[in-house]
Amino acid sequence: MLLVIAYSRGARQTLRNVCRAHEDSVVRQFGRVALFDETEFGAFQALRLREKHDENVQIERTRPFNEFAAVSPEVREAAAAYESRETPSVPYEQFADGTDLPSTESMKGSPL
Amino acid sequence: MICRIGDVVRRGRVVSVKQDVDPTAVAAAVRADDTDPDAPVAVTAPSQTTVHEQVGCIHPGMGLRTRTALARAARTRGLTTPYDDQLQETRESLAALDMEDESTASYRRELAETTADIERLQEEVAAARGRLQARREQGLDTTAAAEELEDAIRRLSEAETSASAIRQQLDRTRAAARGRRDTRDRRLRLEDRVANLERRARAHLVDHLHEAFATTVPEVPVGEADTPPDGNAFETDAVTAALAIARLAVLSAPVVLDCDRFDSPVRAYEWLDAPVIYL
Repeated sequence: MLLVIAYSRGARQTLRNVCRAHEDSVVRQFGRVALFDETEFGAFQALRLREKHDENVQIERTRPFNEFAAVSPEVREAAAAYESRETPSVPYEQFADGTDLPSTESMKGSPL
Repeated sequence: MICRIGDVVRRGRVVSVKQDVDPTAVAAAVRADDTDPDAPVAVTAPSQTTVHEQVGCIHPGMGLRTRTALARAARTRGLTTPYDDQLQETRESLAALDMEDESTASYRRELAETTADIERLQEEVAAARGRLQARREQGLDTTAAAEELEDAIRRLSEAETSASAIRQQLDRTRAAARGRRDTRDRRLRLEDRVANLERRARAHLVDHLHEAFATTVPEVPVGEADTPPDGNAFETDAVTAALAIARLAVLSAPVVLDCDRFDSPVRAYEWLDAPVIYL
């Protein structure tokens, strides 16, 4: 999908107008952020906004997230284990300390 | 004021214009800072306040944002609001924001082009490798084919090097763009805040003048063809509302009048208590 973010009042207004006029090409809209269909038409609308508002419009391309393909099992298991912890107030670092769970630092240093 | 239309020059607080001129052109001349000696209409008069934009030119067919005009009229009477200090502070913070632009588009384009080159060159390398292999298997001379392969590999490696340089440059500009977006975020928040404060200030000012406006509207002289206003003062016609607001405002710049509401230009001047250019 195409992630479109408005950074000015004018750009936000145009984004809202575009979303209203082309509901079928808009996957989601939150305030000044919208997700457009990944079609040429979605790109056309995003580029129109960029043309009109220049750098006040940010366009990024998102891709579907498959945690079973993109993420190692250790990280998935760590998330599951941490969310089922018995003491809610324990920070993850402490929770992972002395276990096989990956550390915050090691995860930060490993791009997907 | 001094009002010149064509070759005719008139002076005084009340100027009556006999020629057929566009009222908006006269109003524009009132608002202009410099008088152009060659312009068909020129007016030298005290400078206008913002309310002049709304009620400085009153003619049938005019539009009027009544609440905005009324709020601005309130300002000419020296009215302030509890939001003014905050408004000024927020406007100052907004003006102090340093916004600079550097587009990342050129890098994106270069990277896309180089990536396409790389794909094409990879195919060339594969083809050259295939040709060399074939000649070798057939026991033919491989000198030329080996040179071709070497050449293709060299061009591919060059393209990869430049792609990597462009990618790094793009990463750097992207990081800088992220920083600038933080500034844009701040600006948007400040702009929203200004708009919000302006709305509240306007409501405050309108509240203050609401009653005076409601009593003035029925006092506005009506022309023969006009229906006298009744009911909600905010729903009255634009000319009537504009006249009422012009009367409530303290105006030093002349009001251009092109409406059939007063017996004489002097009567209009007296009623509005403002200099008048009467068309």
